[in-house]
Amino acid sequence: MLSRLQAISVKVTDPFVSLSLVQASRSLQTSSQRLAPVPPLPDHGGKVRHGLIPEELFEFLYPKTGVTGPYMLGTGLIVYLLSKELYVINHETIYAICIGTIIVYGVKKYGATVAAFIDSINEEKVAKAQAAKDSHISFLTEAIENEKKEQWRVEGRGMLFDAKRNNVAMLLETNYRERQHMVTNEVKRRLDYQIALQHLNRRLQQEHMINWVEKNVISSITPQQEKESIAKCIADLKVLAKTTQAKAAA
Amino acid sequence: MTLSLFDQFLSPVVCWIPLVAIAITLPWILFPSPTTRWLNNRSLTSQNWFLSQATSQIFLPINPPGHKWALLLSSLLIFLATMNTAGLLPYTFTPTSQLSINMGLAGALWMGVVILGMRTQPTHSLGHLLPEGAPALLTPILVIIETISLFIRPIALGVRLTANLTAGHLLIQLTSTATLAMLTIMPVTAIFTGILLFLLALLEAAVALIQAYVFVLLLSLYLQENA
Repeated sequence: MLSRLQAISVKVTDPFVSLSLVQASRSLQTSSQRLAPVPPLPDHGGKVRHGLIPEELFEFLYPKTGVTGPYMLGTGLIVYLLSKELYVINHETIYAICIGTIIVYGVKKYGATVAAFIDSINEEKVAKAQAAKDSHISFLTEAIENEKKEQWRVEGRGMLFDAKRNNVAMLLETNYRERQHMVTNEVKRRLDYQIALQHLNRRLQQEHMINWVEKNVISSITPQQEKESIAKCIADLKVLAKTTQAKAAA
Repeated sequence: MTLSLFDQFLSPVVCWIPLVAIAITLPWILFPSPTTRWLNNRSLTSQNWFLSQATSQIFLPINPPGHKWALLLSSLLIFLATMNTAGLLPYTFTPTSQLSINMGLAGALWMGVVILGMRTQPTHSLGHLLPEGAPALLTPILVIIETISLFIRPIALGVRLTANLTAGHLLIQLTSTATLAMLTIMPVTAIFTGILLFLLALLEAAVALIQAYVFVLLLSLYLQENA
């Protein structure tokens, strides 16, 4: 802005002078002229010693006065002000000592905790954004894996079809065998029935024959024959009894 | 230069330039406007955090139309708190210890709140003149009393802040004068008064912040009544 002012003010008089002025003042512009991206903030503020005095003063005085230079300067200044009564000790001095002690104590005791808390606020912000980013990345990774799995599944489709084909063939086979079995059973049942019928017939015939023979035999037995046979039986029995008695005695 | 007890309350002037203007614009320098960055440095982060907490706390009981006052009341809080705490430093002038500034703030803001209430909901605002649950016989007396208390409010707001700060500062001055005077004569007593001064300084620090908060809180209360 200053360069423009200069340019406007000198424009009327001399073009060479105005041009050289603009060029000269451009060297004073140290910041970058771009707006984006925004240059990053430094991580820490300027270094200070004793919380108040910037480090640059110490570095500035170091070549000439060494390490104790700035301290001597400070002490000398204070002593000068006090001795010449440029600074008068009054009640405010006592109060200044008091409030200074309180402030320094407060900063020393609670400074770190407060700074940590404020940092944690920023950390939370970053953590939230990071968490969102991470969740999205993990979601996408999972999607990729699922896709790969699906592709692998598609490869196995052939095997699935073979297995299904086998299954169907087995079912058909089983069905065919079942029906065959059923047919066999039915045929056997009918044949068994015929056999059973034949057996029954034969048995009936046999029984009838036996009954007829028995009837005839029984009817042919005369009472005389019956008495004779009974007497013979009794005689046999007596003989048998005698032999057994003899055997028992022996 | 020797300071009398009341020199701290004189409006500072250097070569007829009133420095009270610089004293009043101090908060404007100490609280930079939020940047366009996503993460700020520590001071800005802490200021933003504190301000957002305080504003949400104050505006919790106020209905949404009253939230238009958020900017005014939060900036008022920052203004008063900064002035009060800056006044704790030695050799400083505290603008809020002057009745003129406090009455100016209190009177104008109170009147704004009352006029808002009267304009938007006059019956409700006038209804506050009679507290609930009062026996019917006392109504006339109560209305008069409530009207008087209504008009006392700006005076109370301003004078409360002024009195607290002035009294605190004066006490500090007195105690430190006593400590200084007795330092040479009776050092032991000076130590006791010194301890008293420490405690007083701590109290003043608390009072500074509390009074600012109370001011804003009461205004928000009046706003809640009327809006």
